Amino acid sequence: MRHAINCGVLALLSGGLLVARATAQGTDPRLERLDQATRPVVVALVDSARAAGLPVNPLVERALEGATKGAPGEVIAGAVRRLASDLGRARAALGSGASAAELYAGASALRAGASPDVLSRLRRARGHQSVTMALAVLTDLVARGVPVDTAATVVLALAATARDDELLEFRRAVERDIAIGAPPAAAASIRVNAAIRGVRPGRP
Amino acid sequence: MFDQSDDAVERVVRHLRRPVPIDPALDQRVMQEIAELPTRPAASPRGVWSWLTARRQLTLTPQGALSMAAGLAAAIVGLWRMSATPSPAPAESGPRGFQFVLVEPGAANVSLVGDFNDWDATRTPMRRTSGDGLWTAIVALEPGRYRYAYLIDGRRWLADPTAPAVGDDDYGTPGSVVTVGRRGL
Repeated sequence: MRHAINCGVLALLSGGLLVARATAQGTDPRLERLDQATRPVVVALVDSARAAGLPVNPLVERALEGATKGAPGEVIAGAVRRLASDLGRARAALGSGASAAELYAGASALRAGASPDVLSRLRRARGHQSVTMALAVLTDLVARGVPVDTAATVVLALAATARDDELLEFRRAVERDIAIGAPPAAAASIRVNAAIRGVRPGRP
Repeated sequence: MFDQSDDAVERVVRHLRRPVPIDPALDQRVMQEIAELPTRPAASPRGVWSWLTARRQLTLTPQGALSMAAGLAAAIVGLWRMSATPSPAPAESGPRGFQFVLVEPGAANVSLVGDFNDWDATRTPMRRTSGDGLWTAIVALEPGRYRYAYLIDGRRWLADPTAPAVGDDDYGTPGSVVTVGRRGL
């Protein structure tokens, strides 16, 4: 009898430990904010991404964004699914050694319209440097109205030699030009020519 | 309460702004007194040396002596450690304070909501820093890319007009992105 009870307690404890371990690994407590119908769908997507070695925090944040904005469950699940797919494509283009920040920036660039080939070329051009800022500048230029092909060309032209702060300053310069009325494509082209030649636009 | 304070301040300001009559002979009297002051000889190197080498008597309590010894030991250890270990390079990946600024005169409250605070509208309320609708918040951000938006009065989403817009908005509301680079970008 005593032996049977001990076995039962042991089984209960083991089961509890297994559940706790699964909970710790599989369910992010922040996802408790999702409604009961949406949560298991998102948890399954997050688990799949984790098993595939993808960063899961962007997925959780995307789901939380939807919850805070009151989006329907299927919209939230769709957004998380798309982002997971983009993260996977970004990793295929950037390589398995890409950091979580690089993958997230790569996913954003892909969603902005950049091709996986552009991501791979940026990776090669940056060498051992992080590609996060280059991808972010590319995406931000597209958001400002620069055609994606132009944005990719100018960032690739700068990627090999420009530091992160120089890429950021380049983006700011293009934004200033656009703000005062320059066509986005022209602003990006003029600024990249000036950056490559090391001169300021408008000066001989 | 504020009106009374304002009146008091205005009265003080008015009082301080009144012109003060100055005796026209004041300058002359001051210069004369300066001229009559005894002249002081310039310090010569010899005088400095004699001051430095003059014998003085110091009184030191046991506690004071112990304090001096401890301070001296701490200084020696500190200098030794500074010379023995290289100073650490500036952290490239540590969080940095980012200031977000929004001009929204008609808002009663504004929240900064984004990837950096789990899209929790209660975690980063913005502070009204002036009476004309300037709202600010400072958030520590690790290097990375973050989506965010402003929530006005708990019901209206607003993008940051000074930042790039999100290009992949899944929820049909405006939003912005900020990219934090390494080495303080």
